[in-house]
Amino acid sequence: MTTNGLSRPCKRCNAHEAALVVRNEPLCRSCFTIYINTKIIKRMEAFRTRNSAEGHRRKLLLPISFGVSSTCLLDVLSRHIKQQQDRNGRPGYSLILLHVTGASLSTSAGEEDKNIEKLKEAYPQHPYFELDLSSVYDSGRSLDQGSQEEAAFKLQRLLDSASSATSRSDIVSVLLTRAIVKFAIAHECEGILWGDSTTKLAEKILAESAKGRGFSLPWQVTDGETPYGINFYFPVREVLKKELLDFAKMTDSRLVDLISDEAFTPAQAPVSSKNTTIDLLMKQYFESVEESYPSIVSNVVRTSTKLQPSVVGLRRCKLCTHPVTKEQLGIESWEGTQDSEKDPSGDKLELCYGCSRTIPESAIPLLPR
Amino acid sequence: MPTLCVQCSKDRAVIVRPKNHQKLCKKCFITTFETEIHFTITSNNLFQRGERVAIGASGGKDSTVLASVLKTLNARYDYGVELLLLSVDEGIRGYRDDSLETVKRNAVQYEMPLTIVGYDELYGWTMDQVVEQVGKKGNCTYCGVFRRQALDRGAATLGVEHVVTGHNADDMAETVLMNLLRGDIARLSRTTSIITSTPSATAVANPNVLANIKRSKPLKYAYEKEIVLYAHHMSLDYFSTECIYSPEAFRGSARALIKNLERIRPSTILDIVRSGEDMARLCPGYEDNCRAGCNTAAQGEEEEAGCGSSVGRSAGGEMQKLEAILAQQHISEDGNSNGHSIEVEVKKVVTRVSKVKPSKKAPVQQTVGQCEKCGYMSSQRVCKACVLLEGLNKARPKTGIHIADGYI
Repeated sequence: MTTNGLSRPCKRCNAHEAALVVRNEPLCRSCFTIYINTKIIKRMEAFRTRNSAEGHRRKLLLPISFGVSSTCLLDVLSRHIKQQQDRNGRPGYSLILLHVTGASLSTSAGEEDKNIEKLKEAYPQHPYFELDLSSVYDSGRSLDQGSQEEAAFKLQRLLDSASSATSRSDIVSVLLTRAIVKFAIAHECEGILWGDSTTKLAEKILAESAKGRGFSLPWQVTDGETPYGINFYFPVREVLKKELLDFAKMTDSRLVDLISDEAFTPAQAPVSSKNTTIDLLMKQYFESVEESYPSIVSNVVRTSTKLQPSVVGLRRCKLCTHPVTKEQLGIESWEGTQDSEKDPSGDKLELCYGCSRTIPESAIPLLPR
Repeated sequence: MPTLCVQCSKDRAVIVRPKNHQKLCKKCFITTFETEIHFTITSNNLFQRGERVAIGASGGKDSTVLASVLKTLNARYDYGVELLLLSVDEGIRGYRDDSLETVKRNAVQYEMPLTIVGYDELYGWTMDQVVEQVGKKGNCTYCGVFRRQALDRGAATLGVEHVVTGHNADDMAETVLMNLLRGDIARLSRTTSIITSTPSATAVANPNVLANIKRSKPLKYAYEKEIVLYAHHMSLDYFSTECIYSPEAFRGSARALIKNLERIRPSTILDIVRSGEDMARLCPGYEDNCRAGCNTAAQGEEEEAGCGSSVGRSAGGEMQKLEAILAQQHISEDGNSNGHSIEVEVKKVVTRVSKVKPSKKAPVQQTVGQCEKCGYMSSQRVCKACVLLEGLNKARPKTGIHIADGYI
């Protein structure tokens, strides 16, 4: 929490003493809560009660990671829905909660179980579902024990095929998105509400650029249609991570309880640099930039949302499933690789440039369809 | 048993390639490095037979390696180009004067004629004087803007239509990240182009000034570390001291990030360049730009991509400035601020900035015209160098040296 600016009056209400300084404005607790709520609800404009036909519930999937962003989003939207209900007699949308297990490389299973119990207790009004990451291999029908084990085994072999910690964490995050999308479509959700804060989006933009996936950024950070066949929304896109942390601490002790402890400690580099990942490096980087230059973080996100998909390819990358043109497949066909001996036709390639850096071609049979 | 070179399987491997960790012997490394640059040159059709090509030479590792490699390749593959050295004297004592001595030796070693153009004669200001005037923060902007023009003007004097520069893959990656960080989408769309050109906006009245000068970067895909290795193993004579003035903060920040990324995954440098090339196509207006006849060549304008300097020494002035502007915009956008003081401040900050950066909005609609003052290409009425000079000259005592308009 920022301490300077204390014992100053709140700039908005002038009635209470400021509790913290937000983007140069000293704010009191209550005005700060309003500020965060407004920032998030503003992005839910399309889901006002008047925009939904009576008798038709607009279903939105809210994936919960127990990080600060998705948890705060859940809290804000739960109140929003209640407000809509009270005001108009019916809400404009309903939430489905989903947590994917086996996707966090750091949280222990014990802590995860505890969080899940607390979540169900705190928000019983929303249907809650749970999936294992390996469900991304499901063919759609209910699974017997055997095929579940087989899926887990395939996933493990896929992760083992990656040569670095960066690649493993990349595979997990790509498959996580795929598993969530798959679930949302199967449950006839209209869209997915991602919890990503400004800071998280900025991290993603730079990390994906560093992984050679710049071409797919518009689909990863912009609100609206995606090639996944479902709409993405990022309602927390205008709130910084540090603001969410303050918000969580100030709002309700239940909220802090839900969030995994990890969220409150600054990103730490692993002892061995071998285990550092690009994702983690960007996380550390933006956590520090956010401290002194919060507007620059917002600006990175705002700029990148101006990128528009130009030529949409007809083929799909087998890992990230983004549409690609022939030129976007593989590493060798690009002149920057400076390898004139390889076959540049790209006819047999099945991975986009970025995914080719993450898994070897030999691992393609291990990918979910 | 010693590890053998993976390419020739004969000699002992003495080099681990920074780019892909391949173990090579000295001979194979040298050949591979040269062949890759040859590949870049041929796949982009950089050179035309009979062309005179000026190498922008600073005496540093990049341009020295560039000169050496181009001389070798020109002979080996018979490009049929005439190579010249073109240096810019920024007027930085203790840095440029020494490095120019290196360039002079290079001229003898590579048997290439050398031309030096100075900021002093072109603009009436040396960088030392500029720094004295504007301070250490933000002086890189001046240097970058001035250098771009200086090289073009130097080339025009020589009657050369093609200038090659030593920008390497690290520089390119750094610029991509930097433009993402400072939200400069217009520049993002053109920084990764291997060829940029200074189009002659009109039939130039003065033949001495700026015909169509092409810029290219044959080392665009070469790793900085490999350039150093090449220079070392070829025992090239280069100047290794870095500029004494600190880099612009965004560049410093981006550079530190690149170094860390490279440690985690060596291919990252190339991967960022690749992302930059792909993202350029996603920038609004990219298609239109190309239809207007840019081909693969983007119109490079005004600011030059970075010069070599050390990491993390920067004071963060640029970042603070942008932060302040953006923060004010944020407050006014929110519409929640009460009190007039902020409104006034917003105006003050914005007007001050708009002088330097008049084209914040609608970057794609830029059309390149000519500077009213000096005739250099500019999307504005007056080019950036003239704007900067005007600011500098205003503060200079009237009795001082005065350079008449139209001279530069």
